[in-house]
Amino acid sequence: MAPHVKIERGTRTSRIAGRLALVLLAALAAAPWWTGRANLRLLGEFYTFVALASLWNLLAGYAGLVSVGQQAFVGFGGYVLFAAAMFYGVPPLLAIVLAGVVGALIALPMAPLLFRLHGAYFAIGTWVAAEVFRLSFAQVSVLGGGSGTSLPARLVTGIAATRDQRDMLLYWCALALGLGTVAMIYALLRSRAGLALAAIRDSEIASESLGIDIFRTKLAIYVATAAVTSMVGALIFLQKLRISPDAAFSVNDWTAYVIFIVVIGGIGTIEGPIVGAIVFFLLRETLADLGTIYLVILGMVAIAVMLKAPRGLWGSFSHRTGIVLFPLRRRVVHPDAR
Amino acid sequence: MASVPLLSVSGLVKRYGALLVTDDVSLTLAPGEALGILGPNGAGKTTLFNLIAGTVAPSAGTIMFAGADVTTLRARERCRRGIARSFQIPHPFVGMTIYENVLTGAAFGRGLTERAAQDRCIDVLERTGLIRKANALAGDLTLLERKRLELARALATEPSLLLLDEIAGGLTEAECQSLIGTIRDVRATGVSIIWIEHVVHALLAVVDRMTVLDFGRKIAEGDPQAIMASPEVASIYMGLEDHGGAHG
Ligand SMILES: Nc1ncnc2c1ncn2[C@@H]1O[C@H](COP(=O)(O)OP(=O)(O)O)[C@@H](O)[C@H]1O
Ligand SMILES: [Mg+2]
Repeated sequence: MAPHVKIERGTRTSRIAGRLALVLLAALAAAPWWTGRANLRLLGEFYTFVALASLWNLLAGYAGLVSVGQQAFVGFGGYVLFAAAMFYGVPPLLAIVLAGVVGALIALPMAPLLFRLHGAYFAIGTWVAAEVFRLSFAQVSVLGGGSGTSLPARLVTGIAATRDQRDMLLYWCALALGLGTVAMIYALLRSRAGLALAAIRDSEIASESLGIDIFRTKLAIYVATAAVTSMVGALIFLQKLRISPDAAFSVNDWTAYVIFIVVIGGIGTIEGPIVGAIVFFLLRETLADLGTIYLVILGMVAIAVMLKAPRGLWGSFSHRTGIVLFPLRRRVVHPDAR
Repeated sequence: MASVPLLSVSGLVKRYGALLVTDDVSLTLAPGEALGILGPNGAGKTTLFNLIAGTVAPSAGTIMFAGADVTTLRARERCRRGIARSFQIPHPFVGMTIYENVLTGAAFGRGLTERAAQDRCIDVLERTGLIRKANALAGDLTLLERKRLELARALATEPSLLLLDEIAGGLTEAECQSLIGTIRDVRATGVSIIWIEHVVHALLAVVDRMTVLDFGRKIAEGDPQAIMASPEVASIYMGLEDHGGAHG
């Protein structure tokens, strides 16, 4: 037995980055005092996209579950919030948490059905499921049917009395949810579950013969992702104060852009979705006035990155420099080990 | 055999469509025993391991392990009960370090927390001669190191039965000798072993008993020296020992 063995998790770079991140975070948390309403909204939206992209990356990049139907949970979470607030008087901020719980409960029976499908069939299956959600909610007339509904004014003022206070509160919710999502994913990937995911990704047959329960591992990831995606969806439509089936279950907004972000930034890295979201928002804010041309440029950027840097911007940078901000490795410190 | 067998396989059959790959195989293994399996390529040796480890389901027959019927259990459940294997073609987790590969075995095969698994993993790495490479990526290993990693990962699950599938295949004589040393040490800790191997001298250095498979059938079984001298083995193995590293 070796008594002096230590396992190191961090690197020098990651420790420095961690300190810088705290400073950045303090600055972002104080944003209501140094920037205006428009920027606050933009940042809030940015955090929700960081969360959605990180979640999709966990699902597709780490668990191999390439879903194009996560809009099912974005929209479902949004509708749960509206229904809970309008019909049961649940305070909207509490309803965000409730949306997470209900999102998990609905994902649980969906997973075994979807997991029978593999590869492209799984992707199509998730999309079909999302369409079923959209068509179903369009039938619910108390929620406005196909044309949707707005959050009643009394509920809006119930969040906070003034518009400024509401903006602040929702901004902090978005920051907390974006940050919490990245932190949760980082903790998960550093844990035993992360070990199982990495093993399954490399060899299912060896994983199974070493005692890993592949089905349960993927189920847990799918359900956890659905829960947090539902919470993000609830917050998104609380920011918008209005929901409709087409907006709630939009494959464009909640899946196509999200996949763009992850692929541009670097799939299978924690930093990638954050970098991708920054690039996406920069492009959108500078080019969105161009209309259709903007979408053409997005497509060209995606193609250029896939050809020149198939690992994504962060993935390629990290591969070249060895820099990792969220290290997952375990390093054995042992007299004989290099 | 006086003691209750650790493993008892009876009437095992495996068909792939019309192809009969395992043809009514029965065998027993006593606790602490080491059994060698010989047979030409395609004889169904790896399939027999797949059946015992639970990687594939049998068409007929039963598998008893440590007093319980495990025939319908999944591979991961059999691993938890103490059956571990190495793969003929190594399946390292290439995105992980050697240490993390072994940790995976200890954490899931034994259900240990990372902390509890830590010392055990270092111990396994020392015993299998991999401690120097603990932090290397499993994708960057030599053939010998990959074979050792297969062994280390299996040992990390603390098996009572270890299935080795042509683990000495493709190694140089010196590498083979050092691997034999490691496997003998494993045996000395009381682990039962079934070892499929074409490198006959490696088998002879470790096993108590030998079984010969051909076309999915057990055609001979007994004392290793007697088996090697038998006409069945002579007819099958003419010339095979020269290229002992051949893959099946
Ligand atoms: N999954 C499978 N599907 C169809 N045939 C298989 C499968 N696995 C093995 N076989 C066949 O079974 C026979 C025995 O294979 P195997 O057990 O790998 O032999 P050995 O390990 O003795 O070389 C071979 O003819 C092989 O082609
Ligand atoms: Mg074989």
